[in-house]
Amino acid sequence: MTRFYNFMLYLFSGLCGLLLVGSAFTLVGFLLWQGASIMGLKLIFGTLDMSEIIDVIFWQRIVIDGLWPAMVGTFFLVFMALSTALPLGLGAGIYLAEYAGGRTKTFFSIVFDLLAGVPSIVIGLFGFSLTLYLHRYFPGLRPCLLISGLALALLILPYLVRTTQTALEELPDSLRLTAAALGAEKSAVIISVLLPQALPGIFSGIVLAIGRAAEDTAVIMLTGVVASAGIPRSLFDNYEALPFYIYYTASQFSDQYELQQGFGAALVLLVICILLFTGAGLIRKKATLRLLYQHRHP
Amino acid sequence: MTAACVFVTLGILVFMLVLGLPLLTPDSLHLIFASEWAPDRGLFGVLPFIYGTLAIVSLSLLFAVPLSLGNAVLIHLLLPPAAAGLLHRLIKMMTGIPTVIYGFVGIFLLVPFIREWFGSGSGMSILSAGLLLALLISPTMILIFVESFAAVPAGHIRALTALGGSLRQRLFYLLLPGARNGIMTGIILGIGRALGDTMIALMVAGNATARPESILDPVRTLTAQIALVMAADFDSIEFKTIFVCGILLYMWAAVLTLTLRFLNHGSVKSGFRGVLS
Amino acid sequence: MQEKIIEIEKLSFYYEESRVLNQISASFSRNSIAAVIGASGSGKSTLLTTINRLCDEVAGTRVTGRVKIMLDRQKIDIYQPGISLPWLRRKVGMVFQIPNPLPMSIYKNLTLPLKMAGIKNRGLQHDRVERVLKDTFLWAEVKDRLREDARTLSGGQQQRLCIARALILEPEVLLLDEPTSSLDECAVAEIENLLLSLKESCTLLMVSHDLAQVERVADTVVEIADGALVGSKDKV
Repeated sequence: MTRFYNFMLYLFSGLCGLLLVGSAFTLVGFLLWQGASIMGLKLIFGTLDMSEIIDVIFWQRIVIDGLWPAMVGTFFLVFMALSTALPLGLGAGIYLAEYAGGRTKTFFSIVFDLLAGVPSIVIGLFGFSLTLYLHRYFPGLRPCLLISGLALALLILPYLVRTTQTALEELPDSLRLTAAALGAEKSAVIISVLLPQALPGIFSGIVLAIGRAAEDTAVIMLTGVVASAGIPRSLFDNYEALPFYIYYTASQFSDQYELQQGFGAALVLLVICILLFTGAGLIRKKATLRLLYQHRHP
Repeated sequence: MTAACVFVTLGILVFMLVLGLPLLTPDSLHLIFASEWAPDRGLFGVLPFIYGTLAIVSLSLLFAVPLSLGNAVLIHLLLPPAAAGLLHRLIKMMTGIPTVIYGFVGIFLLVPFIREWFGSGSGMSILSAGLLLALLISPTMILIFVESFAAVPAGHIRALTALGGSLRQRLFYLLLPGARNGIMTGIILGIGRALGDTMIALMVAGNATARPESILDPVRTLTAQIALVMAADFDSIEFKTIFVCGILLYMWAAVLTLTLRFLNHGSVKSGFRGVLS
Repeated sequence: MQEKIIEIEKLSFYYEESRVLNQISASFSRNSIAAVIGASGSGKSTLLTTINRLCDEVAGTRVTGRVKIMLDRQKIDIYQPGISLPWLRRKVGMVFQIPNPLPMSIYKNLTLPLKMAGIKNRGLQHDRVERVLKDTFLWAEVKDRLREDARTLSGGQQQRLCIARALILEPEVLLLDEPTSSLDECAVAEIENLLLSLKESCTLLMVSHDLAQVERVADTVVEIADGALVGSKDKV
């Protein structure tokens, strides 16, 4: 009887495993099958030749039928979101881990948990309503790169707070006590002892946040992304972005080549996100290794 | 700085309320919770979208929970360490796949497949969205299940094994009861993720406004409603209903978050002696 | 009669609801080694942390009574308001039971307290490092590997490094919480010799559960049981 039950357990779990792994490989395989043939410079820069591509990179020329504007748009978005959210996230994380205590800490933790749980479309809606509200005071304002960047910052803020906080809290208390016993001020303990140790954890959090900002579609859909805008000239301009390009192509493609470009874009985004994700994991692992061997070979 | 963060969070809620409040008069409430969405006839009920959301989320859970449990058991209990590690790593990597890519592959692979297989409709349906969402939420759930299995004390497991317990007994007497909180946590996180997802529902659920009759019918979710109505005139009731959708989503997410906190309460407090030695 | 450098008066210590130390009064002479003995859990380590107020770093602790220490030729009540804790801890150094080098190089471990005390002159820093390493008999062993991670040292070396680190700010009092309990015999002998040599320059207060060791190094013995003082004697 035991044998039979064990067999059933193996059978069920094995099937689940096969189903999941099979789906993952089907998903990636399908993208590769449909999109691999289009991979190359043509996908990104259209029909431009090498010297023209160099012009493009130096902002001298626009790309008409390639992914370049969408990739640049995504880069801008990530940059804006990170440069807004990083100082806030680090500060709040350090505050929560090292200064806040008791009720204050519980309260702020709940607030950040709530923020982390808000669906991204709701954050997008918030960004949009903010634009409507600000429109009364700045009549020229409409959904744009700036608004999207700020909304995405809000989306990744809880990640940054949480990873900073956890990275600091995971450090042994003996570090804090040792440094305090040496006569260090609290701020000095944090800056010269704790932060250097927490850096790998914080860094992998940043990489994950970049991935999150790069892949999110719902937020930017409501805050200023468009299908065709070229490279944005200012923060108050519309822009293109990779994930929106993929979504848009899925419903609006007019010929086979456009569809193929969509597959190409999906493949590019997938590779970027998987790389960022593996990168975050590697940073963590490498950091632990480095702790063991650093200073051995100065 | 933290104050700014808090301010922003509360700000979202206040903003949604302020913009949605004009709707919460008895008259418009009546309109909004009417059972039909037909703006041309003056009907702005969001009820169909609530049905749509609930249908897709529950279907995806129906697939995802057993799938995730099976995989977690596979990793923790059944596979040899090397294979388990490989599967674990693959699943970790799956959590990095962008949702828009699930949607994209769904449209061009799963939807045609479902259309052919069942031979009716467009293939954009509760079923398609539910399947894809299950794939989206499973990896996170598996990782949490595995983590909470691993937290079951090794001593208990050695004791049971010494008594001649089988794998099945170890699973049902020790792992599942011991990891109950973790399993609930995983499921709640999964619900939250499925509830808040926009892209998959928008791309493969078909966005129909009629109430569905079967899982092969298309539906529209609250999230998709927000994404779709954006283009409308800012002063119309139609436009204002999306704030009702937003508030609903926000509140559901808040309830889930608070439930999670409640579940994982009672973390260990390190005592004075513990700190020193 | 030698001058008393530390005077503890009716000191009680509470952690949350429980009383860990109960009405302790004791005093210790300058340039001596005092040993605090007692069963584990009797509160002897806690007593040490009330003398540099390291107990303040742990939430939920409360102290009543007075501790007066002779610092900069003035008798100072360290629990009076307005005392700077970093200043106090620079004057009252501490060495822990388990060697706790910070995760950085040997050199940086030693210069960190100097930097935090505002001593930024590189030449001065280097002189101090060399001196404390010689004082702790480490110089010959580590002078060629100062840039290596401190955690690559052996246990005994690590503990001597920690003592050196505590000495680098030239404290008037040095607190030692069972400094040899995690070390092997050889290392214990090294540390004991080191402690005896340190008596010249400062006052040592050491928690120990090794009575033979107390016999070897201590001038005064104080015994604690269940948080209360049960005995105190000076060896002649």
